[in-house]
Amino acid sequence: MSGYKETARQESCFRPGSTLCPGCMESVAFQNIGRVTDNGVKTIFTIGTSCAEVSTLAFPNVVAWGRGDDSPDDFAKSFSILHNVFESAPTLAEATRDVADQLTSIGALDRKIQVISASGDGGAFSIGLRTLLHTIHRRARVTIVVLVNEIFANTGFQYSPATMPFADTSTTPAEGTPGNLNPPLDYIHLAIAAGAGMVAQLSPAHGKMFVKAIERSLEVEGTAVIFIPAPCISGWKFEDGQTVELALLGARSGVFPAFTWERGKGGTVKDCPQDASERPNITEFLGEQRRFGHLVGKDKVTGEVKVKPGQEENMEKLTAWVQSNVDRMYSLAAMK
Amino acid sequence: MSTTTAGPVSRVSTPSGERYDGVIDLARVKAAHVPYYPTREAVTADGNTAAALATLQMWRAILYPGFPITPSTKWIETVAAKVGAQKGTAKRVKLMEAEHAVADYMVGAAAACRDLIVSTATSSVGLDHMTETTRSLGASGLGNVMIIDVYRATANFPLCIEGDPSDALAHRDDGFIQICARGKQQIYDTVIQAPVLGMHADVMTPTMPGYYGIKDSHRNAKFWVEADSAIHAFQDKWIKECALPGTINGDTAMGNCVTSRHFQGFKVAQKRRIERALELLPEIGADFEKTFGRPGLAYFDEVGFKGDEPVDVVVVSMGPDFGTFESIRGEWSARNNTSTAGLAMRLINPFPREAVRKRLANAKVVLVVNQAHHSGRGHLTLDIADALAGLDKQPRIVSAFAGMGGADVSESTWEVMLDEGRDAITKAPRQPYMVFHEGARL
Repeated sequence: MSGYKETARQESCFRPGSTLCPGCMESVAFQNIGRVTDNGVKTIFTIGTSCAEVSTLAFPNVVAWGRGDDSPDDFAKSFSILHNVFESAPTLAEATRDVADQLTSIGALDRKIQVISASGDGGAFSIGLRTLLHTIHRRARVTIVVLVNEIFANTGFQYSPATMPFADTSTTPAEGTPGNLNPPLDYIHLAIAAGAGMVAQLSPAHGKMFVKAIERSLEVEGTAVIFIPAPCISGWKFEDGQTVELALLGARSGVFPAFTWERGKGGTVKDCPQDASERPNITEFLGEQRRFGHLVGKDKVTGEVKVKPGQEENMEKLTAWVQSNVDRMYSLAAMK
Repeated sequence: MSTTTAGPVSRVSTPSGERYDGVIDLARVKAAHVPYYPTREAVTADGNTAAALATLQMWRAILYPGFPITPSTKWIETVAAKVGAQKGTAKRVKLMEAEHAVADYMVGAAAACRDLIVSTATSSVGLDHMTETTRSLGASGLGNVMIIDVYRATANFPLCIEGDPSDALAHRDDGFIQICARGKQQIYDTVIQAPVLGMHADVMTPTMPGYYGIKDSHRNAKFWVEADSAIHAFQDKWIKECALPGTINGDTAMGNCVTSRHFQGFKVAQKRRIERALELLPEIGADFEKTFGRPGLAYFDEVGFKGDEPVDVVVVSMGPDFGTFESIRGEWSARNNTSTAGLAMRLINPFPREAVRKRLANAKVVLVVNQAHHSGRGHLTLDIADALAGLDKQPRIVSAFAGMGGADVSESTWEVMLDEGRDAITKAPRQPYMVFHEGARL
């Protein structure tokens, strides 16, 4: 395991040229994962259809993947990526792992391979919940990353099972209604229950923790699942340059607390006290995003975020949901 | 993960990225194969077992993903039992949670190492459930994928497990090479030859050998099983190491999101590859016959033709019910003073239009027997009509539906259909298509 500074100097397999929105957390995540995987082991990514796929794997336009300007001489630095339909990424990864393991057991492959699956939350929690849970259930020795932007961003910002309460999406519009009324799927608990060896909820905004978690995910027994909160500039409707700030605010206010857990060891919640009075007020997180513009408004002079008249009850419900979310994370952390 | 010392690697540039030779040692994969049949043997078993044995005997097949669905279930049961019972085997069965997962798994496994054969078996709505990915596979260039389709009607409302080929025929546009087999020997032989065709460098198209559910999947008969070594020699003669990189031995991207212009070119190339399969199939079939002394892959089985002599009524159909026609053909012809011949279609995608046209050119009437639901005159009928279009003297087409829902096409049903064919020699068929069942025209 290398230090954070050493990792930053490694060569990422995610390269310039993607058409992801400027400031997209997905590109920040890929940059970091790309560097961590420059570790002397050949890397194979599998990816389901998502923003991350259509914006990075365009041919003959830029394919924003690969290590170096040209294919490397060193096989360990070589990189492959395989795309198939939305829900397929974990299964593709599992199959790749199995072939590599089978060839290794025969003595036909004597080099190490590391396999990483990447999906969006639409691909993983909606159409792909089956494949996600069963790949975990079979204890496939792969790292699964799920980029959670809480919407189907690729198709135009529709509701997903990860959408937080009261968010405005194109299919839960906050026009005459309070937006999304469903609480999000408890995907962290599901991953643990399905048998994951390691589960984390971390974004690159928590840089060192994120890098450490990715490094650990490549070593741990069984399936490692990293849920990456991914503020979406277009879907969450915030200003350019606020991605990392929103990722931190979301984590610290209790919407998606930084969480790491390993089977047999238990877990920890970091940077998000269970006591609400010690956390940033949820309104700070909401006030930066126009998807919550029906709930809160920002005073143009003072910058103070205030609950809009008539939305007090909804705000109370949302605050209660946040607290239950934090309590749940602490409960999960206590599990071994 | 292995920690053994890595051997030398050389880089080769390909149109699909870099290939690192020496990373995967295929000779070791072959050496790890433990033979199931050291010598040629006669075996009495059902069609699913015949297909399973063929896939087990291939050294390139080391992973078998599967999910049960009637009537194909015994394929994965047989593979699991044989793999489990064989000491020291390099093979492994992978039980997935759904057919869609099986298809996705095949993409990952076949892409990981393009020199391995990845096979499964499914049926009916199982194949339908795979559809999202089979259509990707059809275009993927992964000719090392083989889905064995045990024919069963696709509709589950009402549900029935009997076999008719509506699943296979509904999936003709998925992009697979689809070959119909009838009888245990032909099933076994077809499964051995299918990947040889699919993995050819000019073809690189996944294959879907198939046979009728229940009628062929569940009924027993004696067939010859060749020695594993003989199968390896035959396949090795045809299957060369893939020139394109896989995800393990490559620096490559597969399944990209492409521009419209590139996509258009890609689809043209896909079409050209499957057209090339038409040319190669008879060559592979001829070599199989030369090697094993039995008929190999062919566009169709034919019966009753005497060179290019004119024939009054030629039957075109597929599957085991064609055998019933063969058994009554002589007696019916003599009784009706009407010459007959027949084609049992083997290659159903791509459809061998030119060969069919040539074979049927001297027929007076072509009686096409369709066994799957179709919104019009029948899948086979439309293909035959297309094949015959433009002939100076075009045979009359009598389109029949019989054996739908997996019903046996009885002798009496064949006779009433042949009667309609005979009548069409002198007058137009009474309807664009006719439905026959249990010896009667409905």
